[in-house]
Amino acid sequence: MTQRKSYAVGTGLFIVLGFAALAYLATQTTSVANSGQGDSYTVESHFANIGQLKARAPVKVAGVRVGSVQSISLVPGKEEAKVVLSIDKRYADIPDDSVATIFTSGLLGDQYVGLQFGHSKKALAEGGAIGFTRPAQQLEEMLSRFFGGGSAADRLGGTYNVTGHFTNVGALVPGAAVKLSGVPIGSVQSVVIQPGHLDAFVTLAIDKRYNQIPDDSAAAVFTSGLIGSQYVAIQPGGSPDMLKDGDEMVLTQSALQLEDLIGKFLVSGSPGDKKTDPNTDAGNGAKPESSAGKH
Amino acid sequence: MSTRMERGGVVTQSLAQIGACGLFLLTLLAAVPKSMRHGRETLRQLWFVGAMSLTIIMTCGLFVGMVLGLQLYDVLSIFGGTSATGTVVAIAIYRELGPVVTALLFAGRAGTSMTAEIGLMRATDQLDAMEMMAVDPLAYVVAPRFLAGVIALPLLTAVFCAMGVFGGHLVGVSWLGIDNGTFWSNMTATVDVWKDIVNGVVLKSFAFGIVVSLIAVFQGYTTPPTSEGVAYATTRTVVASSIAILALDFVLTSFLI
Repeated sequence: MTQRKSYAVGTGLFIVLGFAALAYLATQTTSVANSGQGDSYTVESHFANIGQLKARAPVKVAGVRVGSVQSISLVPGKEEAKVVLSIDKRYADIPDDSVATIFTSGLLGDQYVGLQFGHSKKALAEGGAIGFTRPAQQLEEMLSRFFGGGSAADRLGGTYNVTGHFTNVGALVPGAAVKLSGVPIGSVQSVVIQPGHLDAFVTLAIDKRYNQIPDDSAAAVFTSGLIGSQYVAIQPGGSPDMLKDGDEMVLTQSALQLEDLIGKFLVSGSPGDKKTDPNTDAGNGAKPESSAGKH
Repeated sequence: MSTRMERGGVVTQSLAQIGACGLFLLTLLAAVPKSMRHGRETLRQLWFVGAMSLTIIMTCGLFVGMVLGLQLYDVLSIFGGTSATGTVVAIAIYRELGPVVTALLFAGRAGTSMTAEIGLMRATDQLDAMEMMAVDPLAYVVAPRFLAGVIALPLLTAVFCAMGVFGGHLVGVSWLGIDNGTFWSNMTATVDVWKDIVNGVVLKSFAFGIVVSLIAVFQGYTTPPTSEGVAYATTRTVVASSIAILALDFVLTSFLI
């Protein structure tokens, strides 16, 4: 009888241990651990784009979890996402002019809502709204902003061709964009070496809509960002006559070598500056020729 | 029955085995209500296959978690993602390693002894003697062992998983210096109670419990009544259980994921 009792107790202990382990796994190591931690209040915020944000994603202040995303829905009739945040009552002193931003944890991590405090004396309360939001950064958008190349504009209205000679086209390929003030207005049609010449002969197909380009404009081969694709930038001149089909652009500027580009990147910071600052342009104009000579 | 199965090719023989196993499950399930009268026997078997397996399950769980923590830390540090170690340890253990390794260990530790015990009863005519005394051996011997296996395996799996997470924590946090808060908060942010715990730990281990226990008692019950037959049946329990566990794991995963 005593032996029978001992295994009965042992079996009971085993069953209890098993269920305790299961309960521990289910409640302490899963998302269940994050929900239902005391009272919370909800606030609403509107985002232009929520990216990969999901319900139950964390809401963080200074990296500390203060709540979670309760629901995500579309604002009726608007291209806007309504995100309801459920914030723990313990954190009741968040200023009502705080900024909600959708961040990504690490390079591959999940997205979460980060709150950056404002300076208002009033605190967020149940049913309140966060007025200032910043949408999720889409990787594609970021890349295209960084690399800038983009695609050529569609040429529904037909194109006209202009040509130019370049000492060095770098990695320019047919199909690359032609841009005016950063706006794609056409594409590179061909890059060849003409018989009897030693420089590259580039044909640009420009949309007929953009027929107001002065004929003394300069064409330059630029690289979008540090390692982006190359494109042809048109820098308008001051002539009263406009470019026509078959014209040749006399003023050309060759591709920058990567070495120069890195130097410029480190010094001037933003690669976008070069298109607006005439001084930088003048400075750049001299550089590529000297580096081209070295090669 | 055994003479009929010895004829024919490997395919016919395996098909006959599977078919006989399926029929055996039906008769066994029919005997389960009757076995409730022998609740004490089920409890004793639960002690033997469950509680006595705890040592091996806990040790193995600890080491599996530890080696996972070590390997994942090493690989994830290439991508600068060591903070995800806890998450990946937990998900890998809950979804795959916990149920599968526990079931394999269970087949080796408890399944073999079930087969050998029932097989020896068959070889020494104890089962026939029971039938003579109007005691249904299915209800008194086989069903309690089967029930005990089905109940014990999910519980053992839960213990294995808990030990695995503890092992991963031991290596990741205590030895390799991942931040304790990061380890847990990343885990709780990603691990889902339905997808990982219910589908992984509970459902899979329950299915494995049925399959392993069924194969073990079936091999024991249908063993040729010789000492060689018992030895062969014990080997077959391990082989068939392992194949069944791994194949069923794939099938279940493809349905559950």
